[in-house]
Amino acid sequence: MTEAGTSLKTFYLVLGLVAVVGIALIVRAATSHPSAPLVMAECGGPPLGAVPASGQVLGPDSAPVQIDEYSDFECPFCARFAIVTMPDVRQRLIPTGKVRWRFMDFPLQGHVKSPVAHVAAACAADQGKFWEMEYALYSDQNTWVEASRPERKFLEYARRIGLNPDSFQVCLEARRPWPKIEANRCSGEKLGINGTPTFFINGHQLPEPTLAFDDITRMVDSVSAATAAHAPARRR
Amino acid sequence: MRHRMAAAVLALVGLLVSAYLLLYKLGVVGSLRCVGSGGCERVNTSPWSSFLGLPVAAYGVAGYLVLLGTAMYGLRGDQAGRPQATRALAALSALGVLFSLYLLALELFVIHAVCLWCSVSGVTILAIFALSAGALRKPSRAPAP
Repeated sequence: MTEAGTSLKTFYLVLGLVAVVGIALIVRAATSHPSAPLVMAECGGPPLGAVPASGQVLGPDSAPVQIDEYSDFECPFCARFAIVTMPDVRQRLIPTGKVRWRFMDFPLQGHVKSPVAHVAAACAADQGKFWEMEYALYSDQNTWVEASRPERKFLEYARRIGLNPDSFQVCLEARRPWPKIEANRCSGEKLGINGTPTFFINGHQLPEPTLAFDDITRMVDSVSAATAAHAPARRR
Repeated sequence: MRHRMAAAVLALVGLLVSAYLLLYKLGVVGSLRCVGSGGCERVNTSPWSSFLGLPVAAYGVAGYLVLLGTAMYGLRGDQAGRPQATRALAALSALGVLFSLYLLALELFVIHAVCLWCSVSGVTILAIFALSAGALRKPSRAPAP
């Protein structure tokens, strides 16, 4: 064999070796899952680290009306509510002081991307931006639900809403808020919730899940009027 | 011919690095292995990680594919002693070097984070340019009688 032929053979060998090693490393990176998978526990089982259900709150504790919203980030009806109605609730209803609104995590079984989305929202809450992340998750729901790695999208939202991306990522990868989310979900299961969104006004479940802003204000006015009417009676 | 072989291997390395970054951008790869505290991810999720509506890494994949193809073409027997493939490699890699410098400036002065894999790509394209430009400067060997 000539010198040129030997040299070309060595070249193809090196090229092939680089290709095989490089492709193997990329495939390994694409199939590895560094973060622990999120498993929904049995709510009737042992207590989940004694973490109480809490939720994310808007409005004063002294408000006469408390609305609890049990919601799932992968649920399209929840997304519609968050995009269409919730901005009005935040801008027009909460400032009246009549309502204390509480978002409760309720990731549904079968919605495989939802648990990590709830973790992302809770990680944003750690930096005081839960509602901004909630809106980002719902308004771009179709994108991250389709993504094979939704965490990528969540990191983009985190940057967009002004979170510290490094702290957010550490929180997201460690799945730190998961016990709190599980506690919220289990509180909903105890209440017999089987779909989302589900609303409770002062502890009473509403039969109609898709609420328009006008319906909410009507109910809030009615409940706060009834509360005001009972208050003097109690004082007498 | 040796410089074309080296350019082909380097182009393959650049292609693999760009493919890795592109797969990350597309969400296929979960997190980037990187030195330091998240510089790679900060750069690759920043608004500057896209150029004219496409991920920057996609330009890298396309560019290195062209460079690899050009280098392989230059290794054909009928291209021995002809400078065209080397000239094409030098011209294409010069564009790549300029684009890499633009990206490096963004990392240093706008994003304030350095992406290790982008730097590997930058060094790779610079090496291809140095090899090709160096080969062009050498006097070509007279064809055998």
